[in-house]
Amino acid sequence: MKNFIFCLLFIGINLNAQSNLPNVPLTNLEGKKVSSTADFSEKDQLYVFSFWATWCTPCISELDEINDLMPEWKKEVDFKMVAVSIDDSRTQKRVKPLINGKGWEFDILLDSNQDFKRALSIVNVPYTIVVKNNKIVHVQNGYVPGNEVELLEKLKSLK
Amino acid sequence: MKKVVRLICLSLLPVLSFSQQNNSVFSGGFESNAQWYLNDKGLKDEFNNPTSHPEDPLRSNNYLFVNYAYKNWSFGIQGESYVQNALLNMNPKYNETNVATYFARYKTEKIDITAGYYYEQFGSGLLLRSWEDRALGINNALRGVRIIFKPLDFITLKSVYGQQRTGFDVTDSKIYGLDLEFDLKTAFKFQTSDLTVGFSYVGRDEEVDLPVQDFEDLTNAFAGRVSFSHNAFYVSSEMNYKAKDAVVQVNNQVNNRLVKPGSALLLNTGYSKKGFGIDATFRRLENMSFFSERGAKGNDFNDRLMNFIPSLTKQQHYNLANIYVYQAQPGVFLADEDLVKAGEIGGQLDLFYDFKKGTALGGKNGMKVALNMSSWNALSGTFYIFNPQDYQTDFFSFGKRYYTDFNVEITKKWNNKWQSAFSYINQYYNKQMVEGTDGVVYSDIVAAEATYKFTATKSIRVVGEHMWANYEKKNWASATVEFNLNSKFSFYAVDLYNYGNELEYQRNHYYNFGGSFRKKSTRVALSYGRQRGGLVCVGGVCRNVPESSGISLSLNTSF
Repeated sequence: MKNFIFCLLFIGINLNAQSNLPNVPLTNLEGKKVSSTADFSEKDQLYVFSFWATWCTPCISELDEINDLMPEWKKEVDFKMVAVSIDDSRTQKRVKPLINGKGWEFDILLDSNQDFKRALSIVNVPYTIVVKNNKIVHVQNGYVPGNEVELLEKLKSLK
Repeated sequence: MKKVVRLICLSLLPVLSFSQQNNSVFSGGFESNAQWYLNDKGLKDEFNNPTSHPEDPLRSNNYLFVNYAYKNWSFGIQGESYVQNALLNMNPKYNETNVATYFARYKTEKIDITAGYYYEQFGSGLLLRSWEDRALGINNALRGVRIIFKPLDFITLKSVYGQQRTGFDVTDSKIYGLDLEFDLKTAFKFQTSDLTVGFSYVGRDEEVDLPVQDFEDLTNAFAGRVSFSHNAFYVSSEMNYKAKDAVVQVNNQVNNRLVKPGSALLLNTGYSKKGFGIDATFRRLENMSFFSERGAKGNDFNDRLMNFIPSLTKQQHYNLANIYVYQAQPGVFLADEDLVKAGEIGGQLDLFYDFKKGTALGGKNGMKVALNMSSWNALSGTFYIFNPQDYQTDFFSFGKRYYTDFNVEITKKWNNKWQSAFSYINQYYNKQMVEGTDGVVYSDIVAAEATYKFTATKSIRVVGEHMWANYEKKNWASATVEFNLNSKFSFYAVDLYNYGNELEYQRNHYYNFGGSFRKKSTRVALSYGRQRGGLVCVGGVCRNVPESSGISLSLNTSF
């Protein structure tokens, strides 16, 4: 156990805060195959990837909130919102009616067997990352009301 | 083992300094869930015994995953450590500190080759899914080789070969699989429609040691699927067939008593546009339990599962709505006249509606309504319990009811400070049929919650729940308070009170107090309290946990 922690600290110290986004194959709601890097690589564009699931209440609160605020935010900073559903085949069929029912205006990606989640070592949703030029420039693990305010500030500073 | 960890650490040093200078990606994560189990005189079981801590009261499950990617290559390794022992009721095979999984992968646009441990799913997973769920102790990765080949941009061919992980080892049996998917939208350049079709083959080869054997070592299974959508409408279906094989009804009892094929049919359709969504699913399963080793059927730890058969019911998030949870019934169990199971049949319906801002019901900030119904029954047919055991099911007919759930959830944002939600849930749970015990539980649950924002980042959430149940532990009440001090610190207190229990000494309070700290990708949580015994479920798959009391600490981070 000590060795594990030692190893972790060791790695932590040695790491760059900016790490590259892994290239993972995903699908969009139309069943089209999408790459996490190639399809989100517009130069200097800010992409917010928010990992969520239909059964995760804080995720839905966060995305509802962002959806409400997005028209105002877009006046201040240009960014693209991508909601990555980690729903497995039990709940994946609820994704489409749920996002339409809620009227969310995000790009939706399906991470059916959680390859993207695993590649980023995400333990739990909600989990939000900001990506610029295929580099992860900000990470938010979890969500409590108010985190969206910080996210907006962060986006403005990364513009 | 210590040497192994040190070796990994040291070998990473050059990689790390290297990765900062070029395009290689070095990433990983660490997760630790520790529990200090305590004695609790106040927490009584049904025989009036207090709760005592298990041997090794200090236990933890720890996972370290590191991944290195350079150009088209990636390499990963996961170490797991269960000290002094794994958390209560985890698979006893998780009993040491060791390397658990590793892989090397080469990936281009056309080809993707993985050697080592990998996770894979064909279609919806009714024949094959390997995945990891740490909370449930599931990691049924396959160890072998996987090749994904895309000869044309609308064809994906996957082939897998491997042995399945069980604990820190793999099974002796071999698994083969092929999956072919055509994206016909791309092939025929449809403009407004999507159409994909897929075919799968899965084989499990396990040697069985029986003097006379009425089934083959190799069990073949086939599936076909189709998915179509046009504008706001969509429909998909999947059909699965598993060839004749020994039906295992009791853990580790593999014999010739009953040899039958299995099948599954899944049908889903829906329509959704902005502000409105409807989705309906039908599923019929017959003898579809599928394990990498036949005898694993009926094990308590989700060990050696080959396919993914979640219960298709709403995953409830309120505490009291998770007391009577349905688990899918794919298997065969012929016990007596009143308890015969050969699978399940039923469906689920979801409805989402958004009352827009500015309408009568929507008010100034809108109102969201979600309605959900599900109902599951046993298959009906003719069952012969003795000499010889057999059954014939009718294709489209409903036997005894296992479970129904009707629920509605209304969420409303009043203004920038106030938000509230209300839920009503009605459940029918046939304990006798689902668990093989006795009785039927009818329950009604109401839950109301409100969130108030003091400032942009300081908020409080309060939840009240009540359950009326006619049987077993009867009525419950629950309250939760969650206080978010700022974006880094949160605290909560929750209590579930089984005040309606007929046994006075069992009217337990299951309280929990805790706090969490989050910064960037790291989260640390500490709590003290009691764990209610029963099913802990994630994604429709459950794990049974005993009652316990104690302190828990969890940490996760990624880098």
